[in-house]
Amino acid sequence: MQDDTTKASSQVLVILRHGPHGSSWLREGLDAALVAAAFGREVTLLFYGEGVTALVEGQGAGPLGQKGTQPTLEMLAMYDIETLLVDQQALDERGLAASDLLLPVTPLAPSQLAATLAEHELVLNF
Amino acid sequence: MRYALLVQGGPYSDQAAHSALRFAEAVVARGHRLETVFFYHDGVYNAARLAAPPQDEPHLVDRFRALHDDHGTQLKVCIAAGLRRGLLDEREAARHGKQGHSLEAPFELTGLGQLIDAGLSHDRLITFSP
Amino acid sequence: MILHTLNRSPTESRVYRQALAAMGPDDRLLLIEDGVQGALPSLVRHFGDVSGRVFALREDLEARGLAGRCDATVLVVDADGFVTLTEEADKTVSWF
Repeated sequence: MQDDTTKASSQVLVILRHGPHGSSWLREGLDAALVAAAFGREVTLLFYGEGVTALVEGQGAGPLGQKGTQPTLEMLAMYDIETLLVDQQALDERGLAASDLLLPVTPLAPSQLAATLAEHELVLNF
Repeated sequence: MRYALLVQGGPYSDQAAHSALRFAEAVVARGHRLETVFFYHDGVYNAARLAAPPQDEPHLVDRFRALHDDHGTQLKVCIAAGLRRGLLDEREAARHGKQGHSLEAPFELTGLGQLIDAGLSHDRLITFSP
Repeated sequence: MILHTLNRSPTESRVYRQALAAMGPDDRLLLIEDGVQGALPSLVRHFGDVSGRVFALREDLEARGLAGRCDATVLVVDADGFVTLTEEADKTVSWF
């Protein structure tokens, strides 16, 4: 597979729009991001809408022992996934601040969304 | 152009698989190559070997299989999503000590890397979700 | 230019707002499945910001008995037209 090495922007944008536990979207979206990174792709994550709750501190496993996503999130840096964009408006709506989150993030204003989608070669929306 | 589809909706419960198949026909009719259909999330159920819909309804598994037979489309099922939901080919069934298997060729269990690969190496990736 | 597909009615889900917020000035929106309900004259106002760039899939309108009830500002396309839209777009993003 040929790499587009001249491209400065990251190749894969994974949009996460769900919180932990309620469905498998978050876990499956994160899995896609980790695999893309493991294959040497540059990956950006965008926590959008409800997806911002994926980053809230203090998450745990479910009552049946179902795994949460916090351990996966903590592995992102190991996979060189360092660009974590967060929907600022969604944080505001939920009364959350960047300091309430597990990981350092880059707030994204609504006006920057379209450009973010446009500059990635592949956009996967979960 | 080289097309890939990502199907994330289960059969019959949502329209996603029907929409994907209809789109697939139109892609081929316009002279494009439909190289890959990747099944993820509940979309993996579209590979269920034992699906037995009423005869007067579209048989989704057979229709996907026909894409492979008629156009050489590769039918790739995410192995992690499939195993969790009981979609096992003969090899995986044996490995997990299960009697019988629920998925067979031309559907194939593959890693998620194949989705990323299809998304970046094909000209177009179109997603159908529940 | 990105083609965005939307399969939810604006009365049933707020995901259309996420799609609209993510659309660039030339991006297009294609309503499919239950999303075609957004093409009704009483609901199309939700897509006012992208008027002229809103498409709806004919087969999904017809199957729901809505083909004749579509707002005049919505561009109706068949499956072949859907493929054409994906050809013309750099990429396609699905909202669900």
